[in-house]
Amino acid sequence: MMDAFKLFFIYVGIFFILYMIGYASFLFLSVTVGSSTLYQIKRRNWLKNELLQDYYVPVSILVPAHNEEVTIETSIRSLLALKYTLYEIIIVDDGSDDNTAKILQEAFHMQQVSRPIQRKISCQPEEAIFETYQFKVPITLICKKKGGKADALNMGINVARYPYFICMDADSVLQFDSLEKIVRPVIEEGNIVAVGGSIRPCNGTEIQNGRVISYSLPDKILPCMQVLEYDRSFLAARILFDQFNGGIIISGAFGLFKKSVVIDAGGYDSSMMGEDMELVVKLHAFCREHDIPYRIRYASDAICWTQAPEKWSDLFKQRRRWHIGLFQSMMRHRKMLMNPKYGMVGMISYLYFLIYELFSPYIEVFGLITIVLAFAVDLINVPFMILFFAIYVVYSAILSLTAFFARIHTIDLKLTMRDVFKAFGLCILEVGGMRWILAWIRATALIGYKKKGRTWGKIERKQIKFK
Amino acid sequence: MGIEKMIYIYGAICFSMIVFNVVYNVLLKRREPRLTRRCEEIEKKVESQLKAIRAGGTVAPEHLIDLQRRLRRINNLIAFDRVLKPIFEGNYEEIGKGYLRQIQPVILSLAVRYQKRDNMQAAYFSYFLSRYTAKRQMPMDSVQDILLEYVKKDNLYCRVNALQALYAFGNIEHIVTALRIQDDGKVFLHEKILTEGLLSFTGNHDELIRRLWKNLDTFSEHTQLAILNYIRFQTGVYAKEMFAVMQDETRGKELRLSAIRYFGRYFYEPALEPLLAFVLEKDPSYWEYATVSASALARYSGERVIDALKEALHSSNWYVRYSAALSLDAHQVNYTDLIDVVAGNDRYAREMITYRLETRELQKASV
Repeated sequence: MMDAFKLFFIYVGIFFILYMIGYASFLFLSVTVGSSTLYQIKRRNWLKNELLQDYYVPVSILVPAHNEEVTIETSIRSLLALKYTLYEIIIVDDGSDDNTAKILQEAFHMQQVSRPIQRKISCQPEEAIFETYQFKVPITLICKKKGGKADALNMGINVARYPYFICMDADSVLQFDSLEKIVRPVIEEGNIVAVGGSIRPCNGTEIQNGRVISYSLPDKILPCMQVLEYDRSFLAARILFDQFNGGIIISGAFGLFKKSVVIDAGGYDSSMMGEDMELVVKLHAFCREHDIPYRIRYASDAICWTQAPEKWSDLFKQRRRWHIGLFQSMMRHRKMLMNPKYGMVGMISYLYFLIYELFSPYIEVFGLITIVLAFAVDLINVPFMILFFAIYVVYSAILSLTAFFARIHTIDLKLTMRDVFKAFGLCILEVGGMRWILAWIRATALIGYKKKGRTWGKIERKQIKFK
Repeated sequence: MGIEKMIYIYGAICFSMIVFNVVYNVLLKRREPRLTRRCEEIEKKVESQLKAIRAGGTVAPEHLIDLQRRLRRINNLIAFDRVLKPIFEGNYEEIGKGYLRQIQPVILSLAVRYQKRDNMQAAYFSYFLSRYTAKRQMPMDSVQDILLEYVKKDNLYCRVNALQALYAFGNIEHIVTALRIQDDGKVFLHEKILTEGLLSFTGNHDELIRRLWKNLDTFSEHTQLAILNYIRFQTGVYAKEMFAVMQDETRGKELRLSAIRYFGRYFYEPALEPLLAFVLEKDPSYWEYATVSASALARYSGERVIDALKEALHSSNWYVRYSAALSLDAHQVNYTDLIDVVAGNDRYAREMITYRLETRELQKASV
């Protein structure tokens, strides 16, 4: 019996060594490439290697909303403050039960119109359309039957007048220059079909007219840890994937898309929970299958401020939702796995997301159970295990800090000493604590997910400090 | 043992990351004070030369030697830029021009030197040229020749900045050559960048357009499109030539559409018939021609135009209907004139024109 255990632990050990080497190497590579790219961008701007004139590509901003009466007016006013001239705002009220539509009509003096909609992608029918031309750019409000976020976005695409559209969350705030920055790749490169913006937690940040007035790490521990996690896991990894056109995630909170290609690819899939990820994977597949030259970019300087959940329950909800979305997208496009037809996306991005994102919570939870089991049968070298774990924590924490400081340095934000110490302390806590809790949440996310259906993932929001 | 080695390796990585963070932070913190110090040093030297020029003298040869030595370093060039900026933004532009004229040999030698540097530094130097020498209309033919070499570099910003400098110098020959060089397909330059750049040209636009038109077919379709758009925004005297492009079925779609847009900007009687034909085209694959032509017809009057636009309201394509409704609105067609559409059986046509009339009221109310 003992021999069987020993053999089992040997194989488990080998597996984990390979797994950890892969993870550590990826983390190292992503943070190194991510940080050096940020520094490179900084140097580029320092040496005026940027387009110094204003080139405007017309853009439709789509704001899907469901029961957003608390934040919607502020969000739309923030969109009117953007440093850009050629855009329109389209709010799609997806069957709200609250006063979202009424607030918008009153705040922006909107009038009902009988606008004909070209239905290129199927979506739930509209109930009423309102427009106003009294502001810097036209604002349209579509009230429609509830169909979920993807369905609302499809309606927005049908209504959009311009060749590019931006999807964003109703409770997020775009930085004043974010439109200009997210459009930049379209001007700088040909064949751009999508550009992902950079999502930053705004907890602790004060924003005025889309500009950061004061920046500090959030007071609460949970959002603070998420700030560090965002920089390590999202910012760095997305920059790395961007190097080889391999990005398969553009956050639903801020992304730019070429309308014609999205329509040809079938738009958002309203049966999916992670419609944002699914769309990007679908665009990769569509362009490659139809031999369309394309590029999907990540604009690290196009910033959207969003609220990181401040309660554990909200964070759990958010991560469960992300994990289910990831699972659905990966299953839907499983043909891409290690398929040379899909290039680096299939060979590297898909494989990475499969092993280190989709399977990782199960692997990590399995690892913890194995440790407990090995401890029970006295087959573990405890001092070595502690050393190994300590190295892992220190290694991940240092990489988190590198990504964090790279971001802070390259956008000229000033941190107080208190924030610096806080970052040092909390990155250890994030890697050594929060990560494991979230691994468990993600591991159990798929239980009964089908029953949840097409719902709006709501987490408790406060008013963003937007003036 | 293997595992331990690996742990040491990752430990070393951690350590080097910490060192990197600390060193970079220190360098970054020192950069701005160092630049300020550099600016102060250069400012003193430039100020004394400006004094000499004001007094009717010339720039001292030692200053030229000093500049030549200092400005080889990119950070000194940045500092020099910061020193020159207030001079040209203030009341000293004429003296500044005189100063720049006298340091031309330095700029020329720097142009040769920076051409061999990495693309980022080369791009910065061409940016510097576009700001000072080129914008100030300083005739420096040798520098322009070197700038053409900058246009050849495989870097977007280097090309754009060098082109910007050349537009500012205003020499037609160099612009035509530069456009041909950038047309090598190695770096993508969006047609908006090319069009906006050409519009910023400081020389004789009529002559530039004449030269570009003469050589139009030697450029790629992408550059041709930028040139056609430039002509559209610049002059209305190329109607005959544009008409030929619009009617030439061997030309690319975007070029023909650009030509149609030209007639939406400038009235040209002979274009009316083809525009009407495009609008009434039933082949769905021609919807873009129909849409742009419907927009262009906003500039043409007459019963036939109104009839064609009303007919276009029945198009199966949403965009054609939308453009037709906009143009009918531009013709100030009122509700009674459109009663046949509004009361007609075609729901799509009815909805579109009703929406346009509603929008007109909303727009009026917002003025």
